[in-house]
Amino acid sequence: MAGTSTTLALVGGTHRTVPLELRERLAFSAEQAADALAQFRDRFPGREAVLLSTCNRVEFYAAGENDQPAPTAGELVAFLAERRGIDPARLGPVLSRQNDNAVVHHLFSVAAGLDSMVLGEPQILGQVKQAWALAQEHGTSGPLTAAMFQSALRTAKRVATETGLGRERTSIPSVAVADFAAGVFERFDDKRVLLLGAGKMAAETLRYLRAAGAREVTVLNRTASRAVELAARLGARPGSFTELVAELAAADLVVSTTGADEPVVSLETYQRLESRRNGRPLVVLDLAVPRDFDSRIGGRPGVWLYSVDDLAAACDANRRSRQREMPAALAIVDEETLRFMADMHHRTTAPVIEQLRAGWSETGAAELERLFRRLPDLAETERNEIRQAFERYAAKLLHPPLASLRNESRSGPPHGLVEALRRLFQLGE
Amino acid sequence: MNWAVMTSFLSGISIVCFAASYAVALGCEASRLLFRSGVRGMVMVGFAAAGLVAHTLFLLWRAVTVSAVPLSSPFDWYLLVAWLLAAGYLWLALANPRTPVGLFLLPVVLALTGAATLASDRPFLQSPAAQAWARIHGSFNLAFSVCVTLGAVAGLMWLIQAGRLSRKQAPTLGFRMPSLERLAQVTHRMLGIAAWTAVAGFVSGIVLNAVKLPESVPWNDPVVFRMGLVVVWLVVADCIVLATRRRPAGDRIAAWLSVASLVILAGSMAWGLLGASRHGLPAGAAVREGVMCEEATT
Repeated sequence: MAGTSTTLALVGGTHRTVPLELRERLAFSAEQAADALAQFRDRFPGREAVLLSTCNRVEFYAAGENDQPAPTAGELVAFLAERRGIDPARLGPVLSRQNDNAVVHHLFSVAAGLDSMVLGEPQILGQVKQAWALAQEHGTSGPLTAAMFQSALRTAKRVATETGLGRERTSIPSVAVADFAAGVFERFDDKRVLLLGAGKMAAETLRYLRAAGAREVTVLNRTASRAVELAARLGARPGSFTELVAELAAADLVVSTTGADEPVVSLETYQRLESRRNGRPLVVLDLAVPRDFDSRIGGRPGVWLYSVDDLAAACDANRRSRQREMPAALAIVDEETLRFMADMHHRTTAPVIEQLRAGWSETGAAELERLFRRLPDLAETERNEIRQAFERYAAKLLHPPLASLRNESRSGPPHGLVEALRRLFQLGE
Repeated sequence: MNWAVMTSFLSGISIVCFAASYAVALGCEASRLLFRSGVRGMVMVGFAAAGLVAHTLFLLWRAVTVSAVPLSSPFDWYLLVAWLLAAGYLWLALANPRTPVGLFLLPVVLALTGAATLASDRPFLQSPAAQAWARIHGSFNLAFSVCVTLGAVAGLMWLIQAGRLSRKQAPTLGFRMPSLERLAQVTHRMLGIAAWTAVAGFVSGIVLNAVKLPESVPWNDPVVFRMGLVVVWLVVADCIVLATRRRPAGDRIAAWLSVASLVILAGSMAWGLLGASRHGLPAGAAVREGVMCEEATT
């Protein structure tokens, strides 16, 4: 064997390749993932593995060295199928299989959010960290996966800081609050928020408003008991729908998600209450379909009315903006993959380098010993000088072959050079 | 560094030095619209700070060598207004690095620096009794000019932000405006302060005119007319703002009035630079007929 060899393998599926029904069956809970890793450790001793399972992807990363290479893709598919009780013949065709630098490139892209359903979303990075931590906890993460996941985290950080990817929001509630409501209001702790209806997006929007500082929230619903229940769940004050006009006059920000077929607030209704607002601006996030507010209200001075379509268009624009950052992000992933693979290849030369160093050091020490016996009158400082000169000489002689090994590692495992060094310096296996 | 080297260094600082620094900072601000950069913020603040240091040293050197303390000549007055606005810009750029306030403020700083090169650097000559009133008059005029500029910048930013929100566009990266609420607060406050400091400046000017007789400016001098016009405009604008404050369109009206105030002030200053006036001249001196004539009287 010319040197040590490293293998990396990946088997997995994402929202793009695996149908939802199969993805649901393939997904691992934290407990199931822990069991799977323990099983892997017993079945493939000496190998490393990390299992990443989210709602959009299940990916099994494996690594091995020398006479304990990473399991083959077929073995990994069979392992996953067995753990989740799925027919391997059904699972095999939908899972992608990758090896070595393709594995590294994929992991780096995943960690940076480049492979996510929402491009650049940051949650995946936390999930990658958790998956690695679980593998460490169960003893299936070793030096190879540790180096690979550390590099993945560094790559994700670089993509986040050096490109605009992930900075612009892409969900309707976050865009509604951070890009529009915060464009009108400086602060939310002194504003009155009115929640109309109990649509799904209301709670999510309110979460962002709370994070922005909103404290005073009133919930109105046609069904009073529903308003009370929702208000209790959201930590808000329930109100009566009959007080709609008064509440609108007092509100600074309205989030509307009723299921009404007709507009809940007509232009005439708004014009009647307009004078009671004392000129205060009003932000309306009309997230209902069909809309709850007459669109002509948006033309009134001091009113900032946004419908779901308006917000969705802003989200799309932000997504396109993220797409424009893709080339820069991919360039970082490519660069980090090359760097990691070069380090990995160079790592395989470590035993040869160690042998070479040890051999030269041993020879040097023997020669020094003989020299000092012949010159017994040398002072300790003189002996140290001579020792240091020997060390410098050995280091200078070693530098060119080590530099050649490092250069060669950039284009792949330097097996040829390692073999040449073994033969030239008669190093053992 | 010995004194000779230091004086040689200080005397070598020219208007071009700090104007060029501000221009580079403005270029950096403008580049926000074109591309993202991790180092732009540092370069921008670095050049603005370097410009401000050079600007400060230039004013100090003039104060030491030609006894041209701030406000003592039209040249120094323009440079002091520019200095205050540049200092304000630097503070805002450090406090709100994502807000492109320099895009609006630095052109005014550069315009004032340019105006200084056209203005006379000959000190206003007043009797000792008039000098205190002259300083009060100059200080109030300085304050209202700075307030009008800051109010107009906030008003213009309000109009741009409101336009973006009306078009339902998400903000672009690196070009995030403050909220309408904050901009409206600044606009209202600056317009209010500008109006009343302008009145104080005009009244102190009348007192100064009475004190420094017979060097006084005739009541039909263009400077009296144009400054009176600016003061009346600012007071009327502030009254309109107060009257419409509780109306839905109140903030928009205040924003437009602030921008219009700066346009009127700039027009008044241009008139002052190019027109004939006895403002700031000693008794017996020839009437100022624009820049060329002013030079001819020295």
